[in-house]
Amino acid sequence: MTYKVTEEGDTSTVFLDGEIDMDKTEGAKEVIFPLIDAGKNVNLNLSNVQYMDSSGISVLIESHQKALEKGTKLIVKDVSKSVLKVIMMAKLEQILNLE
Amino acid sequence: MGGSSIAQMNHNEKKAFLVKTSSLKDVRSFCREVFEKLEIDQNLKDELVLAIAEAAQNIVKHAYKDNPSSNDIMVVEVSCVDNKLKIAFYDRGTPVDPEKVKHRELDNIRPGGLGTFFIQEIMDAVEFKDGKKPWINHLVLTKQL
Repeated sequence: MTYKVTEEGDTSTVFLDGEIDMDKTEGAKEVIFPLIDAGKNVNLNLSNVQYMDSSGISVLIESHQKALEKGTKLIVKDVSKSVLKVIMMAKLEQILNLE
Repeated sequence: MGGSSIAQMNHNEKKAFLVKTSSLKDVRSFCREVFEKLEIDQNLKDELVLAIAEAAQNIVKHAYKDNPSSNDIMVVEVSCVDNKLKIAFYDRGTPVDPEKVKHRELDNIRPGGLGTFFIQEIMDAVEFKDGKKPWINHLVLTKQL
């Protein structure tokens, strides 16, 4: 997994890449959580994530909940078809902010 | 879940992997290669790879929870006979108590507890069998193609 972060005002956009499994979740958290802790709104762009398992889904849930606690917003953007299928299997499409 | 497939041939392949999180991508690659040979369509292939990866992850995460630096191996065996796909997992970790293997309720939104749900949702059957020596755990997932 690789990532890139862009900043615009109080919003950070995190572009994740590759396959997100249990081996990659800590890396993803290390990128996303400090932004939320800093009070940023976070756009999580998943257009280049081709695979995500339950560990990756946990990162989305944890990030979403953390953002709610901090009074910021996490938006999951440009989800690939294969990842959207996993999100929908977990019935999270109405919980997470998907765009 | 699932979709149409055209797995016409009988097939059997197995591979050993170190019980490490870094092996999970190799487990997925192995299964994708086998499913290519079986000409399973992309939609179903994605689901099966997810189910298998979740089962392998459970071995790393739970069966070896107390022994994360182990150099043990786990074996994944994929076989297809008469369009019935069988995926077997063998490991020597802490014995699994099938009664304790439960997924969280989907409306109890919290991190974790979804791997087993995905496996059960995708596969037709999930069976914990007695591991024959040298194995301790033997999980079998099946799906009619």
